[in-house]
Amino acid sequence: MKLLTHNMLTSHVKGVTKGYPLLIKATEVKMNEVEFNPQFVSRMIPKLEWSALVQAADELGQRQDLPGELVPDYEKNEDFLKKVHRLLLEVEVIEGCLQCPESGREFPISRGIPNMLLSEDEA
Amino acid sequence: MDPSVENNVRAVRRSKEEKKVLKRQIKASHTLLKHEGISTTSQPTKSLVVANGGLGNGVSREELSAVLKEMGELETLIMHPHKPYAFVTYRSEECARKAHVHLNGEKLQCGGNSVTLYLSFVDSVTCEEEASVPLPEGLVLVEDFVSPEEEAQLLAAIDWSSANDDITAQKALKHRRVKHYGFEFRYDNNNVDKDKPLPAGIPQECLPALELCVRNKHINIMPDQLTVNQYESGQGIPPHVDTHSAFEDTIMSLSLGAQTVMEFRHPDGRLVPVVLPGRSLLVMKGESRYLWTHGITPRKFDTVPACDPQSPALTPPDVRTHSNLTLSKRGTRTSLTFRKIRHEPCRCAFPSACDSQGAPSTSPPSPPSLPRCHDDAAQLEEEYVHRVYDAIASHFSSTRHSPWPQVCHFLSSLPPGSVLADVGCGNGKYLGVSTEVGCDRSSALIQICAERGFQAFVSDALSVPLRSATCDACISIAVIHHFSTQERRLAAVRELVRLLKPGGRALIYVWAFEQEYNKQRSKYLKEQNKEHPENHSPINKASEDSHRPVDNIQDVSKVTDGKLSVHTNRTSFNTQDLLVPWHLKEGKRQGEEESGEGVKKEKRKEKSKKSSGNSCSADSSSSSTRSDCNPDPCPGFDSNMTPGSVQETSDATHSPDSKPSPSDDSAHNTTSAPKSESSPVPVFHRYYHVFQQGELELLCGQVAGVKVQSSYHDQGNWCVILEKDSIEMN
Repeated sequence: MKLLTHNMLTSHVKGVTKGYPLLIKATEVKMNEVEFNPQFVSRMIPKLEWSALVQAADELGQRQDLPGELVPDYEKNEDFLKKVHRLLLEVEVIEGCLQCPESGREFPISRGIPNMLLSEDEA
Repeated sequence: MDPSVENNVRAVRRSKEEKKVLKRQIKASHTLLKHEGISTTSQPTKSLVVANGGLGNGVSREELSAVLKEMGELETLIMHPHKPYAFVTYRSEECARKAHVHLNGEKLQCGGNSVTLYLSFVDSVTCEEEASVPLPEGLVLVEDFVSPEEEAQLLAAIDWSSANDDITAQKALKHRRVKHYGFEFRYDNNNVDKDKPLPAGIPQECLPALELCVRNKHINIMPDQLTVNQYESGQGIPPHVDTHSAFEDTIMSLSLGAQTVMEFRHPDGRLVPVVLPGRSLLVMKGESRYLWTHGITPRKFDTVPACDPQSPALTPPDVRTHSNLTLSKRGTRTSLTFRKIRHEPCRCAFPSACDSQGAPSTSPPSPPSLPRCHDDAAQLEEEYVHRVYDAIASHFSSTRHSPWPQVCHFLSSLPPGSVLADVGCGNGKYLGVSTEVGCDRSSALIQICAERGFQAFVSDALSVPLRSATCDACISIAVIHHFSTQERRLAAVRELVRLLKPGGRALIYVWAFEQEYNKQRSKYLKEQNKEHPENHSPINKASEDSHRPVDNIQDVSKVTDGKLSVHTNRTSFNTQDLLVPWHLKEGKRQGEEESGEGVKKEKRKEKSKKSSGNSCSADSSSSSTRSDCNPDPCPGFDSNMTPGSVQETSDATHSPDSKPSPSDDSAHNTTSAPKSESSPVPVFHRYYHVFQQGELELLCGQVAGVKVQSSYHDQGNWCVILEKDSIEMN
C-alpha cells in the first residue's frame, strides 16, 4: 500500500464518524524506485489531504523535513515535489495494519494489500 | 448356366447402388475391427456382426430380431448395451448367407432415427457372460404387489390439485411432481419437520397394501409418512441416501404406471441397476437403505432385459447380465414411498453415511433460490460469486486481458491527474491508467493486481472504504450483475455515486439479457458457431428457444419457484437470474497461445504498466481466440467455448473436448466441482442477474443527485455514464 492510496482510505465501520485518516502500523516497509513526473505530483497535491500525508509519513518514520503545511508555489519547487513524490509513490507498506482511529478496528495489510472487508455486524 | 459364370455375370451387372453398399459394408467392418477389435471374415459362417444394429444407436431388440428372423431361424442375438452393433447367430449357415446378401444396406426406422445395417461374417461371437450381479444387501423387489384395479384406485387417490404452488413451478421447470402426506419432507435440508405434521395423513386407499406389507413381514410398524413422486419420461431424481435421522430403517416404494430403472450405487463404486416394473414393491432395508445411494437417471429410454416368449433360450433373467437387452421407452411413473418417522437418533451400522453419527448431512441437490433478504443474498453471493472467483482467479485473469475500447475511451477522456476508483477491478485490467485505486471482493484477484504493480485493496462494493466525494471518476465494469437483489444492486450504484465529487462521472457496465442488439449478435453468442453441435442439451422448456434471440420481454421466463437454473454458455439468455458455468483450467501465462480448432492466433500487445501515463492503447480491440472455454461477457475477448450440458437439478459433468456426457446423473453440487468421467475439469457456477434494456437506467434513476449522461449497448452489455450534480445535494 502506497501513501497515495492510504490518503484515500477511510474506516467504514458502522457508526464511526471520525474514521480518517487510518493509523498505520507497519511491520515491513519497502522502498520502490518510480520515475519522477513533476506534473503528475503537482496535479495530485491539491487532491490530497495534506495533514493525513504528514501524519502517515510520521508514523512510518519517513517524514524527514516535510513541512506540516503546504508551501506556496509548490508547483515550481522541484525539491519539494520530489519529496512528495517519494512519499506518495515510493514508500510502500508491505506488512502491517491500518487502524480505525475511532473504533480501534484493525485492517490487515498483507503482501502490500490492505484487506478492508468488514464482517456482517460491522457493515 | 454355370453358377460361377452366373456369378460373374451378376458381378458385371452390379449396380452403382450395390457397389456403394459393398463399399460401406467393408468400411463398417474395418471400423469394427479398429475400434472394437471385432474381426470379420469373408468366409461365410453362421454368425454375423450387424453394424449399426445396436442398442447404442437406438435399435431395439424387437425391431432388429424381426428383420433378422425374415432370413431364417435365430440361434442367438446378442446386443451389448451402448454398442452400435449386434451379433446374430443363425441356426444354419445358409440363413446367415441369405441375411448377408439381402440385409446389407437395409434401412431400419427405429423410433425416429433411420439406420442402415451392414452385415459381415464373424468367426466367433464373444458373449460376455458376466456373473450375475447380486442386489444390494437388504433390497427386495416384489413384483405384482398390487393388481391393476388397485393400481388405478391408488393413482386416483392422489389429489394433485391441493399440492400447492410448487406444482406449477415444477411443471414449468419440468421437475418431477412431488406430494407429501403425514409429514412434509423438506428439500432444503433433506429432513422432515417432525413437529409439524401435515393436515393430511396417509390416504385410506393405501391401507390394504400397507397391511399386506405387515402380513408379509416387510415391516412391523405402519409407516406415517408418504411421499408421492410422479416422473414423466425424461425426469429422474439424483442419487441420494434417505436421511438416516429422518426415517426408520425400512423404506418401501410402490411403483405405479410405467416401469423404470433405479440405480443403486455403493461407495466403493459398484453400480447395480434394478428394473422396477409397474405394480411392484421395492423394500429397502439395512445396507441398501443406509449405505447405497439410489437414483433414477433422467432418461427417455432404459436398457432393460428383453422378454421373447417364443425363444426362451434368448431371454436371460435380468438387466444385470449383458446379453439379451433391449430398449424400453419410459412412460409416466408414480411412486409411493412409505416411511416411518424416526424420533430417536439413528444408531445404524453405517456411520459414514449417518447424520446422527457425525457424517455431514447431505447438502441438498436442489439448486439455489433467488434470495428474499439481505442475509440470503449475501450467502448466495458468497457461494456463487466470491468463492468462485477466489477459486478461479488465475485462470479467470488469464482470460481477461483485452480492455474494451469503449471503457478505454471513457478513461482517456478524463482530465490528466483525475482520481479514479475501479470498484470491482478484478485482475486490474483497467488499472495503470492514471491515479487510480482498485478494489475487489476477491483477494485472489487483488493479489494479481498487486503482482502487476497496481494499487488495490480488498473490499465489498456495497461499502467502499473511501471518503465521500473524493473521486473524479469511478468505473464499475461487470460487477453489479453479481448482486442478487434489486436493493443490493441499487446500493452498489449509490456507493459509486457517493464516491464521486460533484460533477464527477461514473461508468457502469452490466451483462445484458439481450445478447443480440440491432440484429448484431454479441461476440459471446458468435463463438457458438465454433462449437460442436452435440453439446447443446435442453435445460428447461425455454431452451428450445435458446438459439433464438429474445426480442420480446414477454418471452422472458420468470424464475417461478425462485430456483436458479444453469445457463448453457454461448446461448441466449432465457431468464434474468441464473448461474453461468465456468470450466476451470490451469491459469495460463499471458501471451501464451494454444492451438485448437478455430483459434485465431494473434499477437497481443503487452501493456505498459506505469502508474502514470495512459496505457490503454488504441489497438486494444485485439480479438485473439484462445481455447479457454469460458466466456467474457465483454467485448475484446473471444474464446472457444465448451458449453455445459446440464440437467435441471444436477450439474454438468463433461470434459472440455466437447464429448457429450452420457448419463448425466451426477451428484449435486454447488461450487465445488463434480468430476466428469472422461477428464476431471471442475465446473463452477457464478450467479448473474442479467439486465434488460432500460433496467440499468431505471436503477440509476432512483439515485438522487445524479443524472444519466449516456446509455448504450456494447457487445452484450448495457452501459451507462452517470454524472453527479455539480451542486452537492444532501
